[in-house]
Amino acid sequence: MSDQKDLLGLFKTVAERVDRRSFETVTRESVITDLGVDSLSMMQIVGEMETELNVQIPDEDLVEIVTVGDLCSKVEHRLV
Amino acid sequence: MTREPVTRMEERLYRIYMEFFEKAERERRWSLFDDIPWDKVNKDCSDDLALCVETFASVEMYLPDYVASGINVVRPWFGRAWWQANWGYEESKHSLGLGEWLMRSGKRTKDQWFDHYNVIAEKTWEAPFKTARQMTCYGAVQEQATFVIYVKHRDYARREGDEALYTLYDFIARDEIAHTRFYQEVVTALLEEDREGTLADLAKVFAEFKMPGVDLVPDYDARILQMRDQGGVDRDLFIRKVYLPVLKFLNIGRHEMLAAQRKALQDRNDERKLAEE
Repeated sequence: MSDQKDLLGLFKTVAERVDRRSFETVTRESVITDLGVDSLSMMQIVGEMETELNVQIPDEDLVEIVTVGDLCSKVEHRLV
Repeated sequence: MTREPVTRMEERLYRIYMEFFEKAERERRWSLFDDIPWDKVNKDCSDDLALCVETFASVEMYLPDYVASGINVVRPWFGRAWWQANWGYEESKHSLGLGEWLMRSGKRTKDQWFDHYNVIAEKTWEAPFKTARQMTCYGAVQEQATFVIYVKHRDYARREGDEALYTLYDFIARDEIAHTRFYQEVVTALLEEDREGTLADLAKVFAEFKMPGVDLVPDYDARILQMRDQGGVDRDLFIRKVYLPVLKFLNIGRHEMLAAQRKALQDRNDERKLAEE
């Protein structure tokens, strides 16, 4: 659970840095497109999270990411 | 403008164009009059299909602006100037073909079609980026996106039982992917010349990208909603079929783009905030 929280926290931090606005109310269930995050910002958030955690999500998996939780799960999978 | 001796880059761009042109002449030419099975237009097709065709045609009808703007930016470079002229010829067939389909299908009269052109001509398209390199990057991305949309709508035409439109879209899509490859070959050469600068320009283009008809074509937002229902580019498709393939062709890793993208996104977001204030 704490790892999940940390990844959610990391998402919020990175998203705020990329989009320069608050993502405080975001949960793992939040749909990324509903957050007003466009394609390129999404790629930037993914890339910066990968860099911070030293993991790489395969390109073909990127299109499966719909919610914040999907992204966190992809990262978690690579961390194990 | 002072003319300098022919550089290796100029020679390379000329060679890229000649390879493109040879392939176009030998393998890709098509005739609006002989190669489209106009007798297979489905006059009972839906009005939604016609609206999509008219939207494609509308965007293509800003051709005079695209050509004027593009050719002036690259005028000093032989290969690229000739490319622009040839590109204009190929693109001119697209709007003509789409207009022909609208009239032959009975979905628009000749008067409606000319009236529509007059409405289109009231506004002028302006290049979204300032430099030749940025516009080349824009071409690489925009043509790829256009190709993807035409392929999706080619399938839509087949579902509606219109072999004429299917064939026309197929020819147009082939042209668009050939244009994509030309731009991407040029961007590859530009990357070799100045990787950091070209990555910055490419990131700027991705950050500020919009299709050429935005803010120009009448009722654009409503038209795009209809287009998306039948095969437009949403976020997933843009990533999967445009962003990642462009990077792959250019041999750029996602992580290599991060620094340039960070700056481009910050600049874009700052500009948007400024505009809102």
